[in-house]
Amino acid sequence: MKKTIVIFILAAFGYFLAITFLAPEFESNRNRNGVKNVYLDKTVSELKTANTVTAIVVNFRGFDTLGEVTVLFLAATALGSILFKKRHHIGERTVMLPASSIVGSGAKLIFPAIILLGAYVFIHGHLTPGGGFQGGTIIATGFLLMLISYRDFSISHNILSVIESLAGILFVVFGLLGFMNGGTFLQNFMGTGVLNDLFSGGVIPIIYILVGFKVAAELTGLIYTILHEKG
Amino acid sequence: MVGSPVLLIAIPLLAAFLVPLLGMLWKELVRIIPGLVLAYLLVLSTSLYLEVLNSGTIVETIAGWSAPFGINLVFSPLTGFLTTIMTFIGLIIWLYSYRFKRNVEFEAAKKYFIFLMLLVAGSVGIVITGDIFNQFVFIEIVGISAYALTAFYTGRNSAEAAFKYLIMGSLSASALLIAIIIIYSQLGTLNMAEISANIHNMSPHYRVIAMIFFVVGIGVEAEIFPLNGWAPDAYTEAPGPVGGAFAGIVVKAGIYAMVRMMFTLFDISGPMQILIVIGMITLIVAETSALRQEKLKRMLAYSSIGQMGLVLIAFGMGTKAGVFAALFLMLNHAIIKPLLFLSGSHLTFNTTDKYIKEITGMAKKMPVVSVLFALGALAISGLPPFSGFWSKLSVLTAAADENMILIITLVLIISVVEIVYYFRVLNRLFFFSYDEKVSVKPHKPSFNSMIAMFILAALILLIGFYPSSVTGFIDLAADDLLNTHDYIDKVLGMIQ
Repeated sequence: MKKTIVIFILAAFGYFLAITFLAPEFESNRNRNGVKNVYLDKTVSELKTANTVTAIVVNFRGFDTLGEVTVLFLAATALGSILFKKRHHIGERTVMLPASSIVGSGAKLIFPAIILLGAYVFIHGHLTPGGGFQGGTIIATGFLLMLISYRDFSISHNILSVIESLAGILFVVFGLLGFMNGGTFLQNFMGTGVLNDLFSGGVIPIIYILVGFKVAAELTGLIYTILHEKG
Repeated sequence: MVGSPVLLIAIPLLAAFLVPLLGMLWKELVRIIPGLVLAYLLVLSTSLYLEVLNSGTIVETIAGWSAPFGINLVFSPLTGFLTTIMTFIGLIIWLYSYRFKRNVEFEAAKKYFIFLMLLVAGSVGIVITGDIFNQFVFIEIVGISAYALTAFYTGRNSAEAAFKYLIMGSLSASALLIAIIIIYSQLGTLNMAEISANIHNMSPHYRVIAMIFFVVGIGVEAEIFPLNGWAPDAYTEAPGPVGGAFAGIVVKAGIYAMVRMMFTLFDISGPMQILIVIGMITLIVAETSALRQEKLKRMLAYSSIGQMGLVLIAFGMGTKAGVFAALFLMLNHAIIKPLLFLSGSHLTFNTTDKYIKEITGMAKKMPVVSVLFALGALAISGLPPFSGFWSKLSVLTAAADENMILIITLVLIISVVEIVYYFRVLNRLFFFSYDEKVSVKPHKPSFNSMIAMFILAALILLIGFYPSSVTGFIDLAADDLLNTHDYIDKVLGMIQ
């Protein structure tokens, strides 16, 4: 009986949702153009950034990015604190199966290339698709590969936490520098250069590189914490 | 210019990244730095608030893009009022837990203080931001800090409570995101003021669906009825001061987000049935559940949910008097509930289950803490010489102005229920003799936790005897919330 009522209510709600989203005017009935034209225009004319997504993420809505970076930091810290009491020593893992020699030698070969790709993605975040979050994730994948291939591969937790703290601090400091120079928090206070140059866009590439370092350090730390959790 | 609202967010985030590094230099710094930051936030927010009262709302742009293109922060009489309360309670909670967590290892203490600081910063962010997506980000920050603080003792029960909270919080965050997507797809903007100016052009279909998703999304933090299943578990399993922080800070931010959405974003005026109905159900269910609880902290949690129901009812009246009463209730609840949690966690110190029967006769052993608990209990159930009386009275008068007989009846009946369950505890506390077998071993409270509790108790008495010392501020805040056109003009006026 209870189940029937719940299903009935959900079905009614689903019906209304469906007619709302399937209504033909969902795409066409926009009342206003909103902010998008301004974003497309100012990205090229004022920020001199080739990648509009990067300009929106780092500059127009940079405050949200700072918040998201904090969310990631919090999630990593929270996981660390929950699993803190259960940590093994280096070399003792939940998964004890040794990797085959093919995986081992292949990982050694491909690891530098993965790091290079990650660095490329976040350094060119303002020119090509990609950026700090993506590049950082790629680098963390490289460390994941090394961790599953070599049982005694270890990363110093202190170094990781220094990197993530420094990157976070510099992000806020660059924001505050904008506050002191240009008048508002996270303002692009440096010269923007020429569109499509590597050194263009003012603080945008700098902040995205910091985000890259932070994401890489945090995700690596997360993988490391989980791998060393007691079963 | 004394500072800028953005520092209320930037400084705690900077400190949160800095604390792990400083902790490597000197371990004591992980306790001191968050306290200094919270004290700075209180000073900054008080001075900004006084400036706002003199010279009008401050609208701060970020990254040099004025509204609606960039994100903006709005520091108005309403948001300033709430921010000042939150930072104050944050500082009190820090003061209380400074030595309370002394016996825990360094690593755990470091994380506790980082989470506490970001919990306050995120709640302040929810209140002062003028952008719905930014608000979503801050709700995430508050949520994750809250899950981590709930799981702080890493036991079986706290893990269960945190997991429950995590699932509900994540689902509701998705609902909130869907609401934001619907609004952006229709209006092409995320700025609250611009949405509010254009919301009536949006077709009613989308408006209703977006509003449902918003209520579900924010309801978890605001503890409204069907979405508050996490609250009793989380309050019980989290460390004592964290329960106080949830009741004093997080829930206030949730209620603010809900009310801002109703009054400003969807620009509804007049009585709002939805808030009144949700509030009434929340109030009845929570207070009757509180009556049946065997555990002290669980009872306090249900009482907290019930108070939030009352706040929503008062907001739902939609009149000036109603909003005034609601804000007054929020202020009182933010002061009284942390006092109850702080003194209550001393009374049930180091017990696993926090049963009410365990505090039998504790007044003989810990008279001061027991009196402070009694003060909080009397104040929250609305007895005359204390601050809770005035807020409950203002709810009743606001309802009487609108001829809402049902609400008056309900509030009066619920007050009796509240008195019953609080007096049941007080009776055990004061009039039973101490029993070695059942009761907890008394634990001498530390000096700074006593100071924290005395400050809260002094405020309860101060507001109780001189309610006019705060009503002026609340009056201005209520005006500010109701004046949507003024809000839109102030935020968007910068580009015209």
